[in-house]
Amino acid sequence: MLLEVRDLHVEFRTRDGVAKAVNGVDYGVDAGETLAVLGESGSGKSVTAQAIMGILDIPPGRITGGEVLFQGRDLLKLKEEERRKVRGAEMAMIFQDALSSLNPVLPVGDQLGEMFVVHRGMSRKDARAKAVELMERVRIPAAKERVKDYPHQFSGGMRQRIMIAMALALEPALIIADEPTTALDVTVQAQVMDLLAELQREYNMGLILITHDLGVVADVADRIAVMYAGRIVESAPVHDIYKVPAHPYTKGLLESIPRLDQKGEELYAIKGLPPNLMHIPPGCAFHPRCPMAQDVCRTDEPPLYEVNGEEPARRSACHFWRECMNG
Amino acid sequence: MPEQYDSEGAVSSAGMGGAMDLAVTEAQTLERTPGGPEGTGPAGKPRSLWSDAWRDLRRNPVFIVSALVILFLVVISLWPSLIASGNPLKCDLAKAQEGSQPGHPFGYDGQGCDVYTRTVYGTRISISVGVLATLGVALLGSALGGLAGYFGGGWDSLMSRITDIFFAIPVVLGGLVLLSVVTSNTIWPVIGFIVLLGWTQVYRIARGSVITAKQNDYVHAARALGASDSRILLRHITPNAVAPVIVVSTIALGTYIALEATLSYLGVGLKPPTVSWGIDISAASPYIRNAPHMLLWPAGALAVTVLAFIMLGDAVRDALDPKLR
Amino acid sequence: MAESILQVSGLVKHYPLTQGILFKKQVGAVKAVDGVDFELARGETLGIVGESGCGKSTVAKMLVNLEKPTEGEIRYRGEDIAKLSGKALRSVRRNIQMVFQDPYTSLNPRMTVGDIIGEPYEIHPEVAPKGDRRTKVQELLDVVGLNPEYINRYPHQFSGGQRQRIGIARGLALRPEIIVADEPVSALDVSVQAQVINLMDRLQSEFELSYVFIAHDLSIVRHISDRVGVMYLGRIVETGKDAEIYDHPTHPYTQALLSAVPVPDPVAREHRERIILAGDVPSPTNIPSGCRFRTRCWKAQERCALEVPLLAVPAGFRYVGGPAAHDSACHFAEEKAVVGNGNGPG
Repeated sequence: MLLEVRDLHVEFRTRDGVAKAVNGVDYGVDAGETLAVLGESGSGKSVTAQAIMGILDIPPGRITGGEVLFQGRDLLKLKEEERRKVRGAEMAMIFQDALSSLNPVLPVGDQLGEMFVVHRGMSRKDARAKAVELMERVRIPAAKERVKDYPHQFSGGMRQRIMIAMALALEPALIIADEPTTALDVTVQAQVMDLLAELQREYNMGLILITHDLGVVADVADRIAVMYAGRIVESAPVHDIYKVPAHPYTKGLLESIPRLDQKGEELYAIKGLPPNLMHIPPGCAFHPRCPMAQDVCRTDEPPLYEVNGEEPARRSACHFWRECMNG
Repeated sequence: MPEQYDSEGAVSSAGMGGAMDLAVTEAQTLERTPGGPEGTGPAGKPRSLWSDAWRDLRRNPVFIVSALVILFLVVISLWPSLIASGNPLKCDLAKAQEGSQPGHPFGYDGQGCDVYTRTVYGTRISISVGVLATLGVALLGSALGGLAGYFGGGWDSLMSRITDIFFAIPVVLGGLVLLSVVTSNTIWPVIGFIVLLGWTQVYRIARGSVITAKQNDYVHAARALGASDSRILLRHITPNAVAPVIVVSTIALGTYIALEATLSYLGVGLKPPTVSWGIDISAASPYIRNAPHMLLWPAGALAVTVLAFIMLGDAVRDALDPKLR
Repeated sequence: MAESILQVSGLVKHYPLTQGILFKKQVGAVKAVDGVDFELARGETLGIVGESGCGKSTVAKMLVNLEKPTEGEIRYRGEDIAKLSGKALRSVRRNIQMVFQDPYTSLNPRMTVGDIIGEPYEIHPEVAPKGDRRTKVQELLDVVGLNPEYINRYPHQFSGGQRQRIGIARGLALRPEIIVADEPVSALDVSVQAQVINLMDRLQSEFELSYVFIAHDLSIVRHISDRVGVMYLGRIVETGKDAEIYDHPTHPYTQALLSAVPVPDPVAREHRERIILAGDVPSPTNIPSGCRFRTRCWKAQERCALEVPLLAVPAGFRYVGGPAAHDSACHFAEEKAVVGNGNGPG
């Protein structure tokens, strides 16, 4: 495993109390594999990624338990200095909002080149040449001329390409992309997603794709981990999960999105609201919204059950995963 | 399936009520980095600006100290006889420049007047100049700035150029020139001068925050309902744009008090027999070597007052700025 | 077809670009909307889809009179609302209301829910006498699925989905005939989106509303719309009934748009053809000559640069009929099924 997160716990201390954002997350990604982490707001999907990258705001955030094993080392035990060396060089992150992630007063070429100057000790001139090469790599037309342009002179799609180029610069083993195409238009979204998938194959990187969009996931992911209230509720290979979901939350999500290819009558709607992270319901956190909930769900927190002993492994955190899969 | 529609509401009515909903938004804030569709969430928007600000302020020692000091100053400026029984204008030249004595803890000034009594009575001038000038600046500046921001257009461009001109006038030099021609010995010329030069500061802030508030969808919604301009300005824009004006005004209040003292010191503000810290500082400054107490007490009172208002403004600004939370 | 209550013709909105501070001179224009025509029938939902910058939100603003058109007419029951003012405008406004995209900025944070939903009655006092207003507001809360006891709460005490319900209640207060909804669910979580869409569906039949539903999400638009218009750079390039557009698109832009939508179904995905468009949308200050889509179109020929294609049933389908015979502004319109036929699971 390239990256393995084990039993990660993160909480936030706020004025109103302690919000338990991540409550025992386990997931892993191999080189060349794409893991999609799917969840709604407050599910803890981005917080987990920040904890992996070491860019969590501490305080108010606090990692209260767990391990983040990257190439065998527990990142949480590293000193900040060592951590910084890992960041950017060995793992990189792509954010949703490319405009605010780029420095508006520096030409993009300088920002790309900076990576080589800082991490590889290259001269400015060589770094500039490298920047052009990277921009060509992410297929920015007329890269040689545009290397001197500022971020605002690029369109949204092009800016996201620059972000990808930046993440790729030092050829990291792992890329975490947090909603990389959410801010983009559909036609541009497809271009960027394709590029990302292609580059990932080329460099044989691990990719963690964080998203709320079930459609984007279906396109590119190998495996999916669905998060709810700071826990993984289901994890499975992409085809299986869409064919037969093994958790009522996943099932509800899949049924609640309207389809492009058919006009339904009424949409299925998951009742209620996502839970308050300061008062996560006891037992299974999803039980107040779950159509299948029984008494045991209100008291016993379900472990991540092995589903059917299928290979590759498939897991569901539902006491009634069998019933869920059967109907 | 009507029961489905009620479910969302039912969850909240099931007990935890407001607190529960609050935490939902809190959760969204946590997940925000650096956006997400959920990122359109309440990040940086007021949850309830005033109640949150009040909660912050009550726990802020800077606020408590400065508020107590200001409260004390306001009380003695209204009723100076509460703590000073003498008459600030009753002087005895024979006692000129004498130091501290029983019943006259601060000693006497160059005219033989009691420094303690004069310092206490001087509070009234400082506080009233400060408060009235700030009121004038805030009202004029926010009215002009608010209208310019709301209606925009040519009037706005013209006003902006005019404020640029006012910003270019050096305050002390302007005061020396303008106030030297005034003969009235009341506080009004000084207040008028401060308002004349000070309104541009509030104008800019008010204009900016009205422009920000104007772009919110709730303003569009009101307009789509057919609401009049006055309704939109009063109901929707003013309550949401007033916070920065309050902050700037509170901080400015301290500087206006100092400005009055400066002008009086330079001889163009208030003149004797008015009792003012500035006048007393001015009168005492030649004797700083042999009778420092004459200068120290009014100057100290001035410093404490200015500091209290600036600290209060700072605390209010921090409390009203959601980004600092 | 039911009675047509709204007719939009030749709608244009250009924002002048100026230089200079006090003495401005026009140096160009942002052509946000550049000739849009459509009709809306009673009880019908017209979906308008397009990417950011296509002008769909500007159309919405003009429909509710938040922006004045540069040219063109918006006729509501025969009257051109863009030319109205004063009393006549207010009475039209009662009948055309708007639901906004962002539930966080569309409610005044300093007003209680009761004040927000009751404000329409204060602006149009003739609709409800003073004593009735509180009851009316509570009824509205109930209608949109919120507890009527929440009347004294502030917006920040609600979640995004609940806030959007409040926004919808405000839009309903004056019992309008038409509701213009600009991306009403795109700021909401997936599981809450469905709740709000279902609510809008139910309200439509309960109050005989007509919707103009503007969104970038093609799946949601299909779900809710009877007819769909696809916008590109300020114009409608293709319009028709939902099945005509989704199952029988003839304009290349519509085809590309549909094929790019990620479908939550990996099996269906593999059987779909994908058209990936080159480049970005051109700037609305500098719209290509002829067909405005030609710079990204794989079918573009010389004719496309010279001749503006009209929005009409393409000649090839005019006498054949069938679902492909709907309005499409392309010189080389061809049918192409890109969505699949819905045989996937689910």
